Amino acid sequence: MTVIDTITASETGHNPVTAPALRLTGVTKYFASVAALVDVSVDIYPGEVHAILGENGAGKSTLMNIISGVLQPSEGKLEVAGDPVSPMTPSRSTELGISIAYQHPAVLNDLTVLENLRVALPDEVFAGGDSLKIARDMLDAVGLHVPLNARAADLPVPQRHLLEIAKALAVQPRILIMDEPTAALDQDATDMLFARIRALAAQGTAVIYITHRMAELRQIADRVTVLRDGRMRGTSLANDVTDQALLDMIVGRSLVSAFPPKAVGAAATINFAVRGLTGKNFSDVSFDVGRGRIIGIAGVDGNGQAELMRALAGLLPYTGQVLLNGDALKADTLSRTAAYMPADRHEEGLAADLTVRENATFTALDRFASGGVMNRSRELADVRDIFGQLAVKTPGLDAKVLSLSGGNQQKIVMSRALLSRPGYIIADQPTQGVDVGARFEIYRILREVSDAGTPVIVNSSDAAELEGLCDTVVVMSRGRVAQVLEGDAITEERIVGAAVQAETHAPNMGEPTVQVQKSRGGWRHLVQSDNATAIPLAAVIVLLGLYVFGQNANYLSAFNISNILLLATALGFIAMGQTIALLMGGIDLSVGPLAGFLVVVGSFFINDGQGASTIALGFVLMFACAAVVGAVNGSLMRYANFTPIAATLAMYIGLQGLSFVLRDGPGGYINFTVMDWLTWKLGPIPVAFIVLIVFGITAEILLRRSRGGWQLRAVGSDEGAARRLGVRVNRVFILGYVAVSLLTACGAVMLMAQIGVGDPSQGITYTLSSITAVVLGGTSLRGGRGTFIGTILGAVLLTEVLNAVSFLGLSQAYQYFFQGALIVVAALIYATARSRAEAPT
Amino acid sequence: MTQTADIAAPRLGLTQIPLARGFVTVAASTIVLVILCLIFAPSAVSYGGLAGSLPFAAVIAIVGLGQMLVVQQGGFDLSLAGGVSLSVVMVTHYPSGDNAQLLPAVMIAFSLAIAAGLANGFLVGVMRLNAIVATIGMNALLYGVVFAVSGGVPRTTTPLLAQIAGGKTLGIPHSVFFALAILALVTFVMKKTAAGRRFEVIGANPLAAHAAGLRVRLYQAMAYVCAQLHYCVAGIMIAGITREPTAFQGDALLLPSVAVVVLAGTSLLGGRGFPVTTVIAAFFLNLLSQFALSVGVPFSAQTIIQALALVFGIGVYSIQWRRQNTIKEKSKMEDTDNA
Repeated sequence: MTVIDTITASETGHNPVTAPALRLTGVTKYFASVAALVDVSVDIYPGEVHAILGENGAGKSTLMNIISGVLQPSEGKLEVAGDPVSPMTPSRSTELGISIAYQHPAVLNDLTVLENLRVALPDEVFAGGDSLKIARDMLDAVGLHVPLNARAADLPVPQRHLLEIAKALAVQPRILIMDEPTAALDQDATDMLFARIRALAAQGTAVIYITHRMAELRQIADRVTVLRDGRMRGTSLANDVTDQALLDMIVGRSLVSAFPPKAVGAAATINFAVRGLTGKNFSDVSFDVGRGRIIGIAGVDGNGQAELMRALAGLLPYTGQVLLNGDALKADTLSRTAAYMPADRHEEGLAADLTVRENATFTALDRFASGGVMNRSRELADVRDIFGQLAVKTPGLDAKVLSLSGGNQQKIVMSRALLSRPGYIIADQPTQGVDVGARFEIYRILREVSDAGTPVIVNSSDAAELEGLCDTVVVMSRGRVAQVLEGDAITEERIVGAAVQAETHAPNMGEPTVQVQKSRGGWRHLVQSDNATAIPLAAVIVLLGLYVFGQNANYLSAFNISNILLLATALGFIAMGQTIALLMGGIDLSVGPLAGFLVVVGSFFINDGQGASTIALGFVLMFACAAVVGAVNGSLMRYANFTPIAATLAMYIGLQGLSFVLRDGPGGYINFTVMDWLTWKLGPIPVAFIVLIVFGITAEILLRRSRGGWQLRAVGSDEGAARRLGVRVNRVFILGYVAVSLLTACGAVMLMAQIGVGDPSQGITYTLSSITAVVLGGTSLRGGRGTFIGTILGAVLLTEVLNAVSFLGLSQAYQYFFQGALIVVAALIYATARSRAEAPT
Repeated sequence: MTQTADIAAPRLGLTQIPLARGFVTVAASTIVLVILCLIFAPSAVSYGGLAGSLPFAAVIAIVGLGQMLVVQQGGFDLSLAGGVSLSVVMVTHYPSGDNAQLLPAVMIAFSLAIAAGLANGFLVGVMRLNAIVATIGMNALLYGVVFAVSGGVPRTTTPLLAQIAGGKTLGIPHSVFFALAILALVTFVMKKTAAGRRFEVIGANPLAAHAAGLRVRLYQAMAYVCAQLHYCVAGIMIAGITREPTAFQGDALLLPSVAVVVLAGTSLLGGRGFPVTTVIAAFFLNLLSQFALSVGVPFSAQTIIQALALVFGIGVYSIQWRRQNTIKEKSKMEDTDNA
């Protein structure tokens, strides 16, 4: 085990007079009790490219997240250009000129390319001239030739990385951090990127370049720091250190030799084989498993191993063949034949709510049941038996599964795998987060299972583990098999070497590489935009109007048109509010009772015979109450962990009660003059409806062109990415819900003009009809995508349909039928259209 | 990573399920409320008072159990109102006072409930529509049928049904027996059968269930079917208890159904269900209304009390949620930390 001493700045040939652009002193970071970084101290100087090298889990990305302010260090401090910064936040780091390209691009799928640039970059960047041209230049500079109005979700992976890089390079950063930027890039794009990085460094930018590929390090880095297991292994000038010395620093963790003995003897019969398997992120993978042999899958994370494991477990589609004991398995039976031990135990391996016993048996329940009824003693006997074999340590069979240590949790997952009597076992990172003692137990169990004839395939990013455990190791790079190691060739060094020295570029992973994609015309863009629903909705509104007019000429009378539009105005305002809630990925069930409540509040002030000031006070109170309700809704969700449904449902009930407390029946007639003003018409068109249209168009423009609009859609699209971009998520949510309530107050004013009296039982139906209108309009319930124009058209269509029923001489039942059919059919059409648009990329 | 104490395998299985936090909270609150009633509002807990209010508690318990099944799967069923109302009008309008027609009417009501449940299950489980949107639509369609059948006019209930659902045996309202029988059935199926156990796992972590090869979508869809059957029974109970039930009987039940599920400790994000606690919560909520009425809180303020109970309920469990959230947050972090 060689440890190279930390080299001081003067030794590296840097002028010690130059202050470091970034200095980290004693940075330590714990996740729960697991140390991700321990006492890391490093100086980054202006004008240098400083590579951070290390294996998976060495702490590289954690370090970067601390520098960018996404994570806070448990100990230690950061200095930027000599000034201590505490605490660092994403927005603070942007102000300080720290620019970052994440390994998982912080690209918001529901926004366009241009909007992604605008929301991530400060306004000053776009201040000097035509923003479209400035954005175009940014993309051209990284060789990304896509339309600015293309939706980010439609970009293939390499282009998303280029967009992320374009954002990082858009400003002249003081410190530029690149986290594995070339992972998805082809040779041309990589060359371009390196040229840009060298140019920036020449101008004095300090560049931190995180990588695990030594070839790249040779091309770009001036200095290199190696991390292993969260600790610094040393810093050196890139030219002064040999590949061998670096490799020694990366690997070399000696594990006590407690691995179970490997299989011996000549090649055994093949009981599991994979032939030409191709799927998402991996292609043409073939290997055989002999009886009693354990196969290891190795490689740098993100080179297709995880996807390969999921495909083998029947969770991802693939082409090619999977053979068990010589028989090809059908794709849809894989998930029941395989026992999959997922890498993310908490997410996919365990049900946190359930007990140890329930977690261990849920794939084997039928074995313990006679006629569908569980036999408890049989279940307990089997669980005790398997727990005994696996030496599971638990306080009791009905203990909460999360009360166990990581190793024992993993043993529960293994118990389940074994109890289900699988055809083969797929173990993805089986010892991640497992303490050393339990690791060796897990190795022992895997070996026993393999010896008993069940094929075992292990994916691990720990090369030392694969060396000790496996009889064959398949090293993957960029989705392909880079090397297959057998017998004595399986050493940690050879595994890591094969993974980090593979120089394959330009992956052909079923996804197009960076290419010009200008073929899209304006029409295709319109169809894919959020406002695509406007045209069919308008057409349906007109056709329906004409049809009903054909049946009953009174339908298009001036009186009825203004009647429909007035009703649609109240609904339209409330539905606009609901649109904001859905854009944020939430929902507001309280809008209906809120509208009713506000009318009741208004009915105490806005009466005949009241002075102008009292009436004005009434309006002010209505909007003030709305703002309070919105703030409470938002705060309950953000600060008290209520789900949007729970918070607004409680508000729904509460507001309904308040209305009845204020008035136990209709009362408080609204001032006639006010009502006349509110329902004032130009011909058949109420002025209020025109105001609604103006509101809708303004809101639409704000949504697409203002920072607030981008932020709103950003939090709905991907809260985590929005936070990394420096969006103040909580503030956006709460202000968003205040806006929902204020628009509802606008609707309440119109509702007041319609019913003319404070009636506590009115308004409640607006919750459901507002959701119906928004869904009709084409706003996605997943958040991030929506349209105010569509919402208003949806409100008009809904009102028109309900109104048409009586003109067609249909019974009241049809009002319900139409309303129900409209929302279900619209939701089905939009859901199908979206899944079809998303499927082929 | 704390290593748990080394307790060897033989001792396993002796410890029973620790009493769920929801059960303790709800049971304790109920006892406190009963004591408060004994002191301040004895009429609410007198035989007469209970005989009057228990049938409604039973109805809330039944719809609450139905809603619980859907909420367990991370869903939300707004078509409860339509489902209950449809069942009410089917068993009052179709027989129109004729006892002989009651059985066919009940059969039709159940068939419609199954159809509605399958439709909901298809939209949510198979087509992956948002549960709220799908069930709003289904609710409107069910009300369409309600109006097509009844025209919105109430009709007097059948004497036989009034006897079956509204009658008393040993001084206890029949609806209470129905609620307890359904509770027993739900508990047995969920805790003692293989299908029920899988249902709980899928609710507790659909991703893990999917990774283990369980048919997640099928079970999620079946939750809506079972829920509609509950609503149907509740509707039949209401038709028997109320002399002349309206066509909108279900509307008033939607919010209490959610409130009792949440009070009983089932997370709106999905997870384990607590049938016994849900039924106690229904009794609690009903008694709370009676208590408030007796001490002079106006009827109009009843819903405010329900809202506060709901907020309180969610507040109690949000501590638990927070723990789950931190785990989730950690794994999100791991996503960005993927070094």
